[in-house]
Order: sequence, then C-alpha cells, then structure tokens
Amino acid sequence: MPPIAMSMSGMPSQPIRDDIDNTWQYLQGGITRIMTNLQDGIDLGTYMGIYTAVHNFCTSQKAVGFTPSSNISSGSHRGAHLLGEDLYKKLTEYLTNHLTELVTESKAHTDEALLAFYIREWHRYTIAAKYIHHLFRYLNRHWVKREMDEGKKSIYDVYTLHLVRWRDVLFKLVSEKVMQAVLKLVERQRNGETIEYNQIKQVVESFVSLGLDEGDSTKTTLDVYRYHFEKPYLDATKIFYQNESKQFVADNSVVEYMKKAETRLDEEEERVKIYLHPDIGIPLKKCCNLVLIAEHSNILRDEFQVLLDNDREEDMARMYSLLSRIADGLDPLRAKFEAHVRKAGLAAVAKVASDADKLEPKIYVDALLEIHTQYQGLVKRAFNDEPEFTRSLDNACREFVNRNEVCKSGSNKSPELLAKYTDILLRKSGSGVEEAELEKTLTQIMTVFKYIEDKDVFQKFYSRMLARRLVHSNSSSDDAETSMISKLKEACGFEYTNKLQRMFQDMQISKDLNTGFKEHVQAAGIKGLDSSYSILGTGFWPLTAPGTNFNPPEEILADCERFSRFYRNKHEGRKLTWLWQLCKGEVKANYIKNAKMPYTFQVSIYQMAILLLFNEKDKNTYDEIVSTTQLNSEALDPSLGILVKAKVLNLGPGSDKVGPGAFFALNYEFKNKKFRVNLNVGMKSETKQEEVETNKTIEEDRKLLLQSAIVRIMKARKRMKHQQLVSETINQIRQRFVPKVGDIKKCIEILLDKEYLERLDDDDLGYLA
Amino acid sequence: MAENKDKATQKITLTSNDGSSIEVDRCVAERSMLIKNLIDDLGDDSVATQAIPIPNVNDPVLRKVVEWCEKHRSDPPQSTEEENDSRKKTTDIEEWDQKFMQVDQEMLFEIILAANYLDIKALLDVGCKTVANMIKGKSPRRSARRSTSRTTSPRGLLSLWSFFRVSFIP
Repeated sequence: MPPIAMSMSGMPSQPIRDDIDNTWQYLQGGITRIMTNLQDGIDLGTYMGIYTAVHNFCTSQKAVGFTPSSNISSGSHRGAHLLGEDLYKKLTEYLTNHLTELVTESKAHTDEALLAFYIREWHRYTIAAKYIHHLFRYLNRHWVKREMDEGKKSIYDVYTLHLVRWRDVLFKLVSEKVMQAVLKLVERQRNGETIEYNQIKQVVESFVSLGLDEGDSTKTTLDVYRYHFEKPYLDATKIFYQNESKQFVADNSVVEYMKKAETRLDEEEERVKIYLHPDIGIPLKKCCNLVLIAEHSNILRDEFQVLLDNDREEDMARMYSLLSRIADGLDPLRAKFEAHVRKAGLAAVAKVASDADKLEPKIYVDALLEIHTQYQGLVKRAFNDEPEFTRSLDNACREFVNRNEVCKSGSNKSPELLAKYTDILLRKSGSGVEEAELEKTLTQIMTVFKYIEDKDVFQKFYSRMLARRLVHSNSSSDDAETSMISKLKEACGFEYTNKLQRMFQDMQISKDLNTGFKEHVQAAGIKGLDSSYSILGTGFWPLTAPGTNFNPPEEILADCERFSRFYRNKHEGRKLTWLWQLCKGEVKANYIKNAKMPYTFQVSIYQMAILLLFNEKDKNTYDEIVSTTQLNSEALDPSLGILVKAKVLNLGPGSDKVGPGAFFALNYEFKNKKFRVNLNVGMKSETKQEEVETNKTIEEDRKLLLQSAIVRIMKARKRMKHQQLVSETINQIRQRFVPKVGDIKKCIEILLDKEYLERLDDDDLGYLA
Repeated sequence: MAENKDKATQKITLTSNDGSSIEVDRCVAERSMLIKNLIDDLGDDSVATQAIPIPNVNDPVLRKVVEWCEKHRSDPPQSTEEENDSRKKTTDIEEWDQKFMQVDQEMLFEIILAANYLDIKALLDVGCKTVANMIKGKSPRRSARRSTSRTTSPRGLLSLWSFFRVSFIP
C-alpha cells in the first residue's frame, strides 16, 4: 500500500522484479484501489507502474530458467519457461478473498436492496476487471496464452478469470436470493405496481455474462442464465397465472376471462421486450399459453357455440386468436363452426321451402347466399380469413346446398333452381336490374354454383334456357351472357361451356347469313317476306325436331324454300331441319270493323297457319284445319285454344271445346286495349314437360360421360385394377356430378360387352384399341 | 469524422526513464496497445495535461520507436486475433523497415525489447525478422555466442534470449 500512496505524486519505486511477494505486495495496493475506489481515478504513474511491475516480473531472470528445478518440473514447457503462474495464483487468491467479503456484506441486504447491492457490486467488479485485464496484459500475452495453447482448461485470460471467480464464489451463494428478489419485483408489477425494471434488466445481463463456454472461453453460452434465471422465472410465472386464472374463471364469465388472458399475454410479451433476454421469449410464451389457454381450453370451446348463436363476432375473434396459440386449439372450433353453418343453412332453406314445387328460384338462391355471405364475413373478420375455416365453411355450404329440404325430391333441384334464377336474370324484362348490379348477382350465383355437386344438371338446364333466350332473342344483354359463360368456363373448363359458346357463334353467323340473304333477294328483285332465319348446329343446341307434321302456308313456304336454296348454294350437302315449333311471326288483322288502326297479332307459326286459313273463308272446322295444316292434336289444340281464349276466333255454336267436330269463326268484333297483341304465350304445360324431359336425359348423358371417362383413363393406362379404375373415374367425374359406384360398374360392363375393354388375370382390366 | 480527426492528432507526451519528453500525435502513440488501453481506461483528459511515464525505455530507444510509429501511423490497427500466419512465416521486410533496422545490434535488441514492452506487435515482428535474417544458416549456439560477444547489456541479453525462445521455437 505505501508505495502506491506515494506514487500519486510521481513514479513509484518498482518492486524487486523477481520476488513474487515483493511484487505482489506492490500490485495488491493498486488492484485494491481499482476494485474499491476507482471513482477517485487512477493516475498515469500508478497505471504504468502496475503494468511495468507485471512486465518486469514476467521477464525477470527466473524466467530464463536458471533455476534447474523449475526446468525439470516444467518439462512439458517446450522452449522457455514463462514466469507468471505465481502472479496468476496470487490474483486468483485475491479475487476469492475479495468476493468472499462481498458475500458477507450481501447478507445485510434483502429484496430490492439486495438487487441494488448485487448490481452495484457487479458493475464495480466488471469495470475493475477490464482495467486489471489491461494491466495484466503482459501476463495474458505470454504465460496465459501458452497455458491455454497447451490446453489447460482451468486457466483463463484475466478478464474471464474475474467472471469465473464471481460465478464460483459469489454467484453460487447469492444468485438464488437475487432471483427471489427479482421474482418478487415482477410479481409486484403483475399486480399493478410500478417497478424499477432496470434492475431486472441488469441482473439479466449479469447472468448472461456469466455463461462461459468451458470448451472455448472466448465464447459465451446461455447455460448459466437459463438455469439460474429462465427456469425459476418460468416456474414462478406458471404458478402465478395458474392461481390467477383459476380464481378469475371462478368469479367471471368466459368472455371476461378471454379479455383478461389476452391482456396478460400481451403484457408478458411486452415484458420480454422491455427488460428480459429475448431468449426467454419462446419458452415464456409457451408457458403462458399453456397456463392461460390450454388449461382452460375446454371452457373456452364450450362457450364457442354460445358466441356463434349470439353472433358475438368480437368475442369469437378473441377466442380464435387465443386458441390459435396452442397446438390443435382450433380443430374443435372448426368442427363446431361447420356444424353450425350447416344447421343454419338447412334452417334457412326449410323456412322458404314450405312449398317446394312453387318455390321461387330467387328466394331459394337468396336464402343460400345469405347464409354463405354471413359466415364468410365471419370467417374474414373473426377467423383471420384462415384457409382451414374457409374449408369448413365450404364443406358446410356444400352440404346444405346439395342436401336440404328442397332437394328431398331429388338432388337435381338445387342446380335446376339456380339455372332458372340465372335465366330470370338474363332474360329481357326480367327484373330490370342494372348492369353493375346484374354482374354482382352473377358473381353470387357462381358462389352457389361452386358448391353444386351436380354441375351437369345445371349445364343441362342452363343450355336449354340459353337456347330459348337466343332463339326468342330475349336475352337482356350479350355482355352479361358472355360474362356468365366465361365465369362458368373459368370454374369448369372449356369443355363445360363449349356448346354454350357454339350456340352464341351460331347466332352471330345467322345474323350475317340473313344480311346476305336479304341482299340476294333484293338483287333478284323478288318481293318476299320480311323474314329472318337462324341456323342452329344440330349437335350443340338442346333442341329436337318438331313432334308433329306441318304443312306450312303457301306464303311462308315460298320464302323458306328460297332461303333453303340460298343456303344450300353456300354450304353444299348440309341438311336443314325446320324447327317449326320455334318459329313465330306477326300478322296484321285488317278485317276488324271497329278498330281505328289494324291490330297486329304476334303468333307462333302454327297459329299463323291457322289464321291464314280464314283469309279464304270465315268459318273452318277442326277437321279442315287438321287436314290443311297437318298438325297433330298436341300441337294444334293449344294453339287454337289461345286464339279462342283471346277471342280472335269464336267457337261455333254447338261446339264447347277445341277438338274434333268443333268449328271456328273469325271474330270481327275483336277488341283489345293494345294494338299489338301477343298470342304466342308460352304454354305452362310445355315448360313443365321440358323440365321432365331434361331430367330424363340427365341420366342418359351421365352414362355416356362415365363411359367416355373410363375409356379415356384406360387408353392412357392400358391396364388397370378394377378398383383403381373406379376411384380414378370418380376423381375425374367429380367436378360434374357425384357418380355412384354401381353406375360406374355398370358402365364398365357395357364397355366390356362393346369390347372396348377386356378382362385380364388378377382382377385387371385391359384396353382394347 | 472531424471529431475522430481531432482525436487522432491530439498531442500526447511520453516521458522516457531518463526524464526526457517526446510529444506525439495520439494515433502515433496508440500504435502501442499499452498506451491505447491506457487512454481507453483512464480517458482522454488524463493524458491531455500529463505526460505518460515509460519507465522501461530510455530516450534514444523511445525516439527510435516513435519514429517507426510515425511512419506506420496509418497502418490498420493491430488485430487482437492471432496474427495471420503468412506474415509470421516469411522473413520479408519492407524496404523502409529494413533501412530503419540498420542500427547497431544493441539498439536493435533494445528496440525489440521496447516493442515487446509497449505491446507494438508489428514492430516486434519486424525486429524479430531482422534478427532471424541475421542468424539464418547459423547454428543457434554460434549465433548466441555472436550476439553475446557484441552485447553490452546482460539484462537485455537475457530478456532477449528468453524472448527468442518464445518467439522462434514453436
């Protein structure tokens, strides 16, 4: 001590360089000042003095190895014997003593005071360690380095030596109490008090610094921190929240508990950011999730149904975010959600389905859409738009769209009603919806369409109705039609809409053809009818030749034949079949006495043929009409019926109903509010019949579809197991409808009979080219 | 940037063991790890007004060392890692350093000792390489004798000898 005290005013006198006791005595004074009194500063002389003393001791004559004993004992030292071990030992001893004193002092403190004490001493100690490390640099560079190079595990550089001593002497005895103080402080914060969290942060830093890698002292590990800080912290957290949540759940509603848990989880995350080591983030989260969520997951899930029933979106969102934190937390919710949506969908359908036969397509589709929209919104807002929940929603929708009260009579009802609704929307004068509105509704229709299993049924009905719209040219807009077709194409592929597109094309081609025909007629100078013709490709239109003979009136026949010649000229070898049942026209009634101007009747071609007969004579019998027009009664009776009902014709005296034996007279007194009278009104029975027919063809078409799929598969694979073929077929067809295994087997039998396929050994089937 | 430059050219006074002072730029003095650490530890102000005593080095040697440090003031700072081996293995010396080391042997050894003491790794390397080139091809015994015959300071010799055994015998 004395030499250092004197050094304040200049160079200290150096100790005897090769005397360890003398040197140490000199050094100890300086080290003690650095350890305990650094705030007063160290002067240059002392600093250089200590460094020089260490240097001189290490380079003293002893180091040269003049003492034989040291040479022998250190045989492993190749080359020079480096002096320094004595200094290192003295320093170690000194640190141990110093720290033991600190341990004794620490006993006077508890809780926050202990924390303050620990942190203060830690800082003082580590700063001193940095100084001493520099001052003993010569020892580090030579003796320590040599020892470490030789693989001595218990020798550290001087700074690390300080940490090791702290850990082994002070930390071992004090850390538990320090940790208790930390935990008390944290608990106080959890209970709402404001605390000095910087202390905790510094304790964490200190514990982390003590993690020295035994294998390589230049590296650090988190082992010490994990064992002495993280573990007790996690344990305490677990116990605290276990108690708190148990109590809270007993006293409050589940909804309230979720809010509490959410707040607590946020708080803990915040705590990590503010004063803990990031390493604890994941285990702490896990611990909190376990105690706050997983251990209460059952009561949370039980509450879910209640929240669903009451539309508590915000609370459901909270539950979702809580349960999404734990493994498999959401699966039960998804199952409940799916069941709930299905039930809601079925209930909504049941409400509108009181009379399934008269059900308005719009009401039905709207009912389906409403449920979908409602729960899609819920998925988006409360369940983070998660794909898994969307899948549950889809499953539920598919269920209630395809199997509900309305579909009881047959699974074709849903696609049929959907197609009808589309028809209503796309038909002229339908509901007068705006273009933008229409587009939106079509998109919604596609939403339902996506869930329809029997897409082929939809296709059937749709194409029939599209054909009607095109032939009668009462489609509301080409744009809307095209948009719908492209939507269907997007959903089901080119093949699905191929025919629909061809129908469109035919109409376009016909338009050009008519223009050509008109020019041709004008050029020939013939005064024909104001007529227009549509050429419809046989394979693409869902139309059949008329079920009756028909002898068209002269006036029309001439024009038709002229067109036929014109067309054959253009396209040799094509056969034209007249679809009389779809033809219509207008006639002017010049005979009515009281009319200010002549009425115009819009009529079917059959009606026209009937009316034209009355140009010859005022009265015609039923049988006369039959023989001239050649119409059978199924076509003739309804046509006559309407004319009679509209009082264009009067039933002759003695005839009470349309049929053989009746006769008809032209009504010269005909009166109507409008000058254009539409007599070509669709006959109810006709559409009804059409429906039945459509449904009948579906089964036939499905068989063909199945067979072609089977042939396609076999052509590609050549040889396949029966079972495999069946499942592959189901896969391919599923986009159109859900095939029955029995039907597939039947189709395979048919193909075997037709020798497309052959039976091979082992239940295999082979393809015959 | 400006602050850094100010720091680099801050004037530092070094006092040799025979009492004479040399004023150098801070960045020059900091070629010595000893002095760099000292300034880091004690702060800029501590060396602004007081001279740093260098008890183990005399005036001529200190001046020589400072000269070398001036020349090498803008070399990259000495790395704390193990020196890259290539530099350690070759005995090539830059031209300026070769000229610098053309001094009598006693001065050479004093420079080496001072570099070792002041912790100037690069200078120590140059010094050792110079010695290594001198004794190339000679047996250790002969070179030791030769050194001894010309060396007047026994203390220096002993330290140097011990140092050689550390530095050159792996």
